Amino acid sequence: MTTAVGTAALPEGGRIDFARLRAERRRRLLEAMAAHDLDAVILGRPANVLYASGARQLWTAGARPFGPACVVVRETGRAHLLSTWDEGVPAEVAHEDLFGLSWNPVRVIGNVAAVPGLGQARRVGTDGFGIGTPRLVASVAPGAEVADAGPALAAARVVKGAEELSCIETALAVAEGALAAMAGAMRPGITERELVGVHAAALADRGVTAPGSEAVACATPRRGPVRLRRMAGDRLIGAGELVALSANALYCGYEGAVGRAVLAGAAIPTAAQARLVERARDATAAVVAACRPGASGADLLAAWHRTGEASSPEPLAWGLGLGMEAPLISAAGPAAPVGAGAVISEGMVLAVQGWVAEEGAGGALQLDVVHVTGSGPRVLSRA
Amino acid sequence: MGAVVAGSPIPDVPDLARMRRERHARLQAAMAEQGLDVLVLLGSSAVAYATGAVVPGTDSGRAVLMRPVAVVVRGAPAAHLFTPYPDGAPDDLPADHLHGPLHPELDEGAEALLAAVAELAAPGAALAFDELTHPLGRALAGRDPADAGAVLGAVRLCKTPDELACIRAAQRINELAMSEVEPRLRPGVRQTDLTGVFLRRIFELGATANCIDPIWQVMPPRRADGPWTTHGDIAFPTATTDRLLREGDVVWVDTGISYQGYASDFGRTWIVGTDPRPAARQQAQFRRWREVMAAALERCKPGATALEMGRAATAANDGVKPWIEHFYLAHGVGLDSAEMPLVGTDLGDAFDERLVLQPGMVLVLEPVIWDEGAAGYRSEDIVAVTDDGWEPLSSHPYDPFEGAW
Repeated sequence: MTTAVGTAALPEGGRIDFARLRAERRRRLLEAMAAHDLDAVILGRPANVLYASGARQLWTAGARPFGPACVVVRETGRAHLLSTWDEGVPAEVAHEDLFGLSWNPVRVIGNVAAVPGLGQARRVGTDGFGIGTPRLVASVAPGAEVADAGPALAAARVVKGAEELSCIETALAVAEGALAAMAGAMRPGITERELVGVHAAALADRGVTAPGSEAVACATPRRGPVRLRRMAGDRLIGAGELVALSANALYCGYEGAVGRAVLAGAAIPTAAQARLVERARDATAAVVAACRPGASGADLLAAWHRTGEASSPEPLAWGLGLGMEAPLISAAGPAAPVGAGAVISEGMVLAVQGWVAEEGAGGALQLDVVHVTGSGPRVLSRA
Repeated sequence: MGAVVAGSPIPDVPDLARMRRERHARLQAAMAEQGLDVLVLLGSSAVAYATGAVVPGTDSGRAVLMRPVAVVVRGAPAAHLFTPYPDGAPDDLPADHLHGPLHPELDEGAEALLAAVAELAAPGAALAFDELTHPLGRALAGRDPADAGAVLGAVRLCKTPDELACIRAAQRINELAMSEVEPRLRPGVRQTDLTGVFLRRIFELGATANCIDPIWQVMPPRRADGPWTTHGDIAFPTATTDRLLREGDVVWVDTGISYQGYASDFGRTWIVGTDPRPAARQQAQFRRWREVMAAALERCKPGATALEMGRAATAANDGVKPWIEHFYLAHGVGLDSAEMPLVGTDLGDAFDERLVLQPGMVLVLEPVIWDEGAAGYRSEDIVAVTDDGWEPLSSHPYDPFEGAW
């Protein structure tokens, strides 16, 4: 398959074979369901719904409460989808596999209960767990045990096929383009907020709109404490400031992300700033080098620690696929260390993010995407 | 002369600190009333309500893994916030109430969350959660917490004047950005081009985040020309692509952004053209839409029921329900882009009859006039129920149709 990235359709059907991609995902999901002893899964998270059904969905921001949006029954191998229409729904999900939107919980339960084979399931996994989830499962699969579908979905999603990698590389190319657009627009006097707008417009110019996350545009001061802010403000960016930029794009659901420290204006970095950028790059590279099959999350955290840099207030690494996914590896917050026991496996794609700050210089962000192969980490980022 | 809600005027500019204080007081009162000692909140909008914290717009997967958590303790001066986005916390949140992220979607996070709650709550305290996760379910090990939904539903249904001002501010940003999109609606433009213009402008104008991938749906003249649907009615809203728009396309626009967490909701019908002018039949659709709006708004005052409003709207459309089968005549808006009250859903007449309008409720009215053979007209306008009627929170022209809001 060609690895050239682009978004237009090609007459010979080049680039990404989406039918094959969807079939492969469905096969991996059914295998994971068997391995995790799940007779059926009820999915509500958009990324899981896309993975299982292949349906293009409307992007909305934020976490919605759990509700049934897709049901997969292992016995039949079919995916049943909450969609009132067939636009965006692939051919393998037939009209009779669709159920319409309803505000009425009785109707919702009726629609889900009508899914062939679900009523006979002994063990039903859900990918979210609301207060009412046990009652829902009891109504649609009487007597079934309620299980966590998370591990099965993670197992299916964690290893990326060739088509998935092409999607990620396309998203990465778009994100890198958006980062370049932000860097190009960054003359002194522009605000952080305006840069976030430049990012959104740069994605749309390339024919994609929804991101995994809105851009980071954080000017870091050369005096006083430095912190990484994710909410852009009205702050005017001054010449000679190090600005943390992070761009992000989704292509057919798959995420590309990039983060860099960029100096504002035509200024020459101070020695301290140049050193800071180098430190962020080196420390991130040290973690990337540790992304080998069989390594653990703890190994990645240790690789960062060995560089001598302070722990980042942000996650150090996470899975990248249909957006941010398992494993999440972080030394931040009351739950830390998070993901220390996670195992890095061949075929994973990871985002590795380093943040280094120093009073008097500013802060430097570095986010790279790495594909874990049998012969070691392969950096996909080009910026 | 400003509109008055529960005795207070809707301010031109929201006082965010006062808004947070009032929301916190409402939460505390509802907790006392329902005998709850601690609320543990995971839902995006519930956390925003309890803490005033804002977050960047992210997709669902990231929002779940990186979700902020709020812990509200009865009698405490403010909620505790556990967040990966500390710079989104309000300045007046006491420093000892701001904590690092918990990641309750993971086992480590669920255990850390329960440990944090145990530190903040007295032994034996009555706990309620708005949502759980599987790891939280396991960590709770058989303990069965109460549902915080009733508390949240009660406090969020009627907005304070500052909340209404936030919705109006969000809508204003949305409308200003749309004024720059409208001239771009020329043959050959791609849907995503419109998105680019819109999103760039909302951030420049001060939006906190974008809430939904903007919708620019081309409507088919007849139902059968559109996508197949489960109910035979029209499909809407379908997701944006790089579709090229052509002369005469009827485009239903639907966007929503957030200002300080509060959502806007913009809906209009536009026509693609170098000099777009609605045909007589299209103007008639718009006139009918205005009649339906007027009939619904006549019933929009405290004490009226949702059922009365829905019936008035239907009567004004010759007995045909003027909304899409899977939607509603009106929905609320606030920290969620569609929330209670809902008018005309498949929850049924009995539900609508129990829903009595009260000052501070917000309604996004979105009647649809479908005209088989000539597509249809749909717009959305937002009103707040006031002490003696309603007050518009949206104010955008209906171009290229003639008439002002």
